[in-house]
Amino acid sequence: MKATHTLSLRDDSGVVSYVPGDLTLTVRGGTTLAEVARITGEHDQWLPLDPFGSDDGTIGATIATASAGPLATGFGLPRDLLLGLEFVNGRGEIVRAGGKVVKNVAGFDLSRLLTGSWGTLGVITEVTVRLYARPKVDRTFAVPLGRGQKSTAQLLLAVAASPLAPFALEILNGAAALSLGLGDNPTLLVRFGGNAPVVDVQLQAFSRLARTEEVEQSTWAAFRKIDGDAGSVIRISTLPTRFLAAASSILADTEPRIMISINPRRGVMRLVTRDDRDRESANAVDAGTSLDFPSDGHDGGTSVIFEKLPAEVWSVVSPSVVSDPLSRGIKKAYDPHNILNPGILGD
Amino acid sequence: MTLPSRSNASTVADRLAEIVGDRHVLSRPSELLVYNSDGLPGYRRQPRLAVFPGTRDEAIAVVRLLAEEGLPFVPRGAGTGLSGGALADDIIVIGLHRLKEIISLDIENHRATVEPGVVNLRLNKHVAPHGLLYAPDPSSEAACTIGGNVAENAGGPHCLKYGVTLNHVLAITVVLPSGEVVELGSKFGEHDGYDLRGAFIGSEGCFGLALDITVKLTQKAQTVRTLLADFMSVDEAARVTSAIIASGIVPAALEFMDGPTIRVVESSIYAAGYPKDAEAVLLIELDGLDAGVSADLEVVRQVCIAGGARSVKVARDDVERLKLWQGRKKAFGAMGRLASHLIVQDAVIPRTRLSEILATIQAISEKYGVLVCNVFHAGDGNLHPNIAYSADDPDESERVHKAMTEIMNACIDAGGSITGEHGVGLDKMGYMESIFSDTSLNAMCELRSVFDPDHRANPGKVVPIHSCREWNAVASAR
Repeated sequence: MKATHTLSLRDDSGVVSYVPGDLTLTVRGGTTLAEVARITGEHDQWLPLDPFGSDDGTIGATIATASAGPLATGFGLPRDLLLGLEFVNGRGEIVRAGGKVVKNVAGFDLSRLLTGSWGTLGVITEVTVRLYARPKVDRTFAVPLGRGQKSTAQLLLAVAASPLAPFALEILNGAAALSLGLGDNPTLLVRFGGNAPVVDVQLQAFSRLARTEEVEQSTWAAFRKIDGDAGSVIRISTLPTRFLAAASSILADTEPRIMISINPRRGVMRLVTRDDRDRESANAVDAGTSLDFPSDGHDGGTSVIFEKLPAEVWSVVSPSVVSDPLSRGIKKAYDPHNILNPGILGD
Repeated sequence: MTLPSRSNASTVADRLAEIVGDRHVLSRPSELLVYNSDGLPGYRRQPRLAVFPGTRDEAIAVVRLLAEEGLPFVPRGAGTGLSGGALADDIIVIGLHRLKEIISLDIENHRATVEPGVVNLRLNKHVAPHGLLYAPDPSSEAACTIGGNVAENAGGPHCLKYGVTLNHVLAITVVLPSGEVVELGSKFGEHDGYDLRGAFIGSEGCFGLALDITVKLTQKAQTVRTLLADFMSVDEAARVTSAIIASGIVPAALEFMDGPTIRVVESSIYAAGYPKDAEAVLLIELDGLDAGVSADLEVVRQVCIAGGARSVKVARDDVERLKLWQGRKKAFGAMGRLASHLIVQDAVIPRTRLSEILATIQAISEKYGVLVCNVFHAGDGNLHPNIAYSADDPDESERVHKAMTEIMNACIDAGGSITGEHGVGLDKMGYMESIFSDTSLNAMCELRSVFDPDHRANPGKVVPIHSCREWNAVASAR
């Protein structure tokens, strides 16, 4: 079944409550991330959530799709920042979950259930999130990685083993670096934030590991737009060590038209094709699904998550991710007439 | 659903004994006495039977047998819960403390898979040599189990910075009340589909039993510094708390103890050296990289002094640090000196309202002539007003319960929650309708019914039964 109507939440926006001293914010679901950034910025606070795309997206959509970006390294996923929400279920009933305070275990956790449910269980109309103070210092550095596999692997392992606590850490292949104007070498992008001493000490430690060059903070906005006119976006998730072990060969071997970024701390790799030609998307799917991680004694455990695919390719690989009895039961309970985003999760 | 008659129960006991062995089924009232309360001694319910599976397969077999027989049950960990959630009213308790294996430890990827009966502190001792820790640290960490933590979405002092159980659990293998075994979440990474792991965490034993839990481990901070600031007024300490949070510094922990708590701790074996004449102390811990912690420590010290702190003491070494913490972590135990029973509250308020609510609590305690000891996670706004009393004194009991209800209502009116980390259980069920609408409560019932269509797992807890539309429809059709 396909949806026949679009329910736009764009006009259901604005602040419901914001007491800066509480570091929590409640907004209507249609509020854009840009608006959230503006409102909180006035009080030197922020919602450290930077999903791929841009800040034109709404908070409701970000929660509904559980979309996260580079800052997930330092601040966690949407599920970690969400305190409560209001949604309208498939029977048109208004349901509230969680609350407006930072700690809350009253009742079953419908907030987590709705996060990443892609609008199939309810329309998110209000969201309460945890905020942070904006860091006094926030700097980003690029490290060109040699093509030599050994040095890259050594650097990544050294970073992984260090007490560094970056806000963000992404490894880009040449194609991805090139699209950000960082040259065509594989590149490591790292963001340090906090008070001045904490940034300085991390930068010193990091500089001992590699030659770094400071880049504009806008590099992150550009990186998040890497999906812009992409034909397909595939996210692979598995154990961080697998990415560290395979990073060198992934960076060296890949098809140069596929832009790849690896977030080793989060255990996620994204493959993005530049345009909507099916052949490239199919190549990306192949590259993603046939990734050969070194054997580490664990069986399986690699998730391939299709974020965006051309319709033709989608119909071939489209997985159902809610076919288990529990998921089906929940869908049936919350949306008995199957009117909420039918088919999006491949049911 | 019908409860077994006594004779039927003995048959069930025999069949359970075939699964787990005679020693691990209790059916005599005297043996079951231990299981008639949890950490909140004001509630008592006598179970019909208690069964203690020793392996995962035994646990599954037990649940399957109860499913076949249509019998309700209550899962139980260490029984340290503070909401009456693990009480079984003439039904079967499944105790999981024998499932205590640390199944695997992946040091490089910072994760561990454990059985539900593993005690928090034991996991922490096990991973400490690798520079790792499991962050959620309920004050009962020396006794409580990870399975119980998952059921309650447990917190603890250090959740201010590190988050609660739901932020640290990657995957759970669950035996549903039907006996079916399912994997929720992923041990390896992210996945799409509904966050069923998130739904299960904090489900208070109503959705099934965890058989194994894969948790995220946290790298131990390079530096940990602990301060004790003492105040001659509760209000000053409350305002300093709000000021520290508003400064943007996220301490690893920010704990509050008021005068009555300080004095009871100091007269107990857990004496930590808190100044006995103070009306409040703040226990503040900062952690992270050396340089950053030193800078934040100075800021926090200044905020405390500017806010009226009489003194700010920084622990010089780990011995001093642990001593300061011991007083806090054992405060509930120390209150045992005051009276035979203790009622522990767990409300959460917006952090800017702290000073006002503490004044309200003081006024309520005077009105009812009860002694409230406040010891709580101030940084999160998670209050624990405690009242020691004798449940054998009906007049005192009534005053205590009236005071607690008024305190809870004040917190709800302030925009807060009825429980921050202890769970709803039996104790807070009466407040659920004060914070959730009918449709919201019904949505919770619907989720429960998906996991447990017959409502056999921990029945009568969390959501009042009359809030469940489907349940009412069935009842009225009967």
